[in-house]
Amino acid sequence: MTALTLTNVNKSFGTVHVLKDINIEVNEGEFVVFVGPSGCGKSTLLRTIAGLEDVTSGEVRIAGEVVNQTPPSKRGIAMVFQSYALYPHLNVRGNMSLALKQAKESKATIEARVAEASRMLSLGDYLDRFPSELSGGQRQRVAIGRAIVRHPKLFLFDEPLSNLDAALRMNTRLEIANLHEQLGATMVYVTHDQTEAMTLADKIVVLRDGCVEQIGSPMELYNNPANQFVAGFLGSPAMNFLPANLLEDGSPNTLGVRPEDLMLDPAGPLEITTKHVEHLGGDTNVIADCHGHQITLRLFGQHAIHSGAALRLGVAEGKSFFFDAKGNRLR
Amino acid sequence: MHKPRIRWHIAIFLAPAVLIYTSVMIFPLFNTLRLALFSKVDQERVYVGLENFRTLFFDPIWSEQFWNALGNNFWFFLVHMLVQNPIGIALAALLSHPRLRFAALYRSAIFIPTILSFVIVGFAWKLILSPIWGIAPSMLDAVGLKSLFAPWLGKEEYALTTLAMISVWQFVGIPMMLIYAALLSIPEEMLEAGEIDGVTGFAAFWKIKLPLILPSIGIISILTFVGNFNAFDLIYASQGALAGPDFSTDILGTFMYRTFFGFQLQLGDPHMGSAIAGAMFAIILVGVCLYLFGIQTRMRRYQL
Repeated sequence: MTALTLTNVNKSFGTVHVLKDINIEVNEGEFVVFVGPSGCGKSTLLRTIAGLEDVTSGEVRIAGEVVNQTPPSKRGIAMVFQSYALYPHLNVRGNMSLALKQAKESKATIEARVAEASRMLSLGDYLDRFPSELSGGQRQRVAIGRAIVRHPKLFLFDEPLSNLDAALRMNTRLEIANLHEQLGATMVYVTHDQTEAMTLADKIVVLRDGCVEQIGSPMELYNNPANQFVAGFLGSPAMNFLPANLLEDGSPNTLGVRPEDLMLDPAGPLEITTKHVEHLGGDTNVIADCHGHQITLRLFGQHAIHSGAALRLGVAEGKSFFFDAKGNRLR
Repeated sequence: MHKPRIRWHIAIFLAPAVLIYTSVMIFPLFNTLRLALFSKVDQERVYVGLENFRTLFFDPIWSEQFWNALGNNFWFFLVHMLVQNPIGIALAALLSHPRLRFAALYRSAIFIPTILSFVIVGFAWKLILSPIWGIAPSMLDAVGLKSLFAPWLGKEEYALTTLAMISVWQFVGIPMMLIYAALLSIPEEMLEAGEIDGVTGFAAFWKIKLPLILPSIGIISILTFVGNFNAFDLIYASQGALAGPDFSTDILGTFMYRTFFGFQLQLGDPHMGSAIAGAMFAIILVGVCLYLFGIQTRMRRYQL
């Protein structure tokens, strides 16, 4: 059964067309990540699913039911906001139980649900604290707890990690992944960070300028990008784009090679001048100039390369992508 | 040896403010309080201690007037708390509605009376409500409600309430503006979180917005309290210093004015006047302290 179906969803603010014919299907229990650069409409898309924005045309179905006219609280969803949006005048317990109280659930049910969520998120010791007395990571967990207690059919996350520092972000990312496993719930997650997308998702939806560029599993998108945008957006360091005539004379197309698919090869076709070397211990990143184009090379292990060195590179067999002038993949 | 330097610049920079504040606020305040401890006997100023206060509170002629004025003042304050502030909050809630058109126009229109002079407001309302040449009777007549009209400012049982309502009309813009600002500072995402939790409309107001604007409501209450217990101008402009009919609109301000400066046949008595001013000061001080130490310290300020 599909948990969420978007059919030809369009959204305009006045004359600005923000979402253009979005078609997405999310299966039960899937973790779907909407990813794209800022301003691509991913948050707007999430808000239309939540019901905070009405769609201009098209259909939103949650668990098979059309919810275009359903208010957010009746859609069977729960949302975690970027700023957490906790109620500052309520303690952790109050924050988690407000929705249930509003839905007139019995006291025993509320108690049980809050206990369950706080055990899952190890918030038991903080139930009587106010949001201002919690750290960023704890607030984040309360926001997630507020979603869990509602037992939603669909969890929506709007860039939930962007206010956390790097170390905490990684932990929380793992926690969210664990939570997904424990609950087996369907989750839709918005981020601009491709690492989060790659690590969390069962399915990634890449958006650009209000259009879906490609949908697929992380490895599908990584190994088989539909166009130059998807190829360049996923992967870190990003894919190198060079004029294809460096390899084949006279080709008007663009060549894309991932940094790890380049290798040092004295007989290779690409001639580079090293500009900068990043020694990361496990990897060595070489940023170099190749006929006026910047190129990044990722070598495994430690290499004694100095900036200014002239090298020749080869491309791993079958690992080069070609794109036409419009950015479409040539196969 | 390190010699402790006298930091003259601190004193110099503080001096202008301290001097001005002392000369126009602190000195007059204490001098008034000092004046209350004296009395005039045979053209001589003599120190009488707290005798003036004893007269004010226990002499039947004085105490009757004092308790009347104090009671009226509490009623005046109560009307503001029960009418002005709830209406101000309601108007602010309406104004902050995102789909309201012409919000800026309403905001200005409601706020404009605040900048008018008391004299103009008092006089204009006196004319409007006059049973002889006022427009209120004929306007009520036009909608068939003439039977409801009464000479509101001229009847003992209505006059004070009518004046309080005029004051409410004039100042409702202030709580509205303060609450409006507080409502605007509530983050949009928090209200959206409420929307997802099913807390919308009135529930959103009671359960999310109201708790967050409580500190502002506290500030407004204390401002109303201080303003009302210092009030004088509106009553004086519309009813005169005798605060008629039959002292039914007399509040502490008009009582103090009459006593201090004299009015018609009554001779001015600066010493008794100062005693009343001292009592007013004490009442306001106690009220403000009750608020600051009793309520505000217990009120949680939320970081939004």
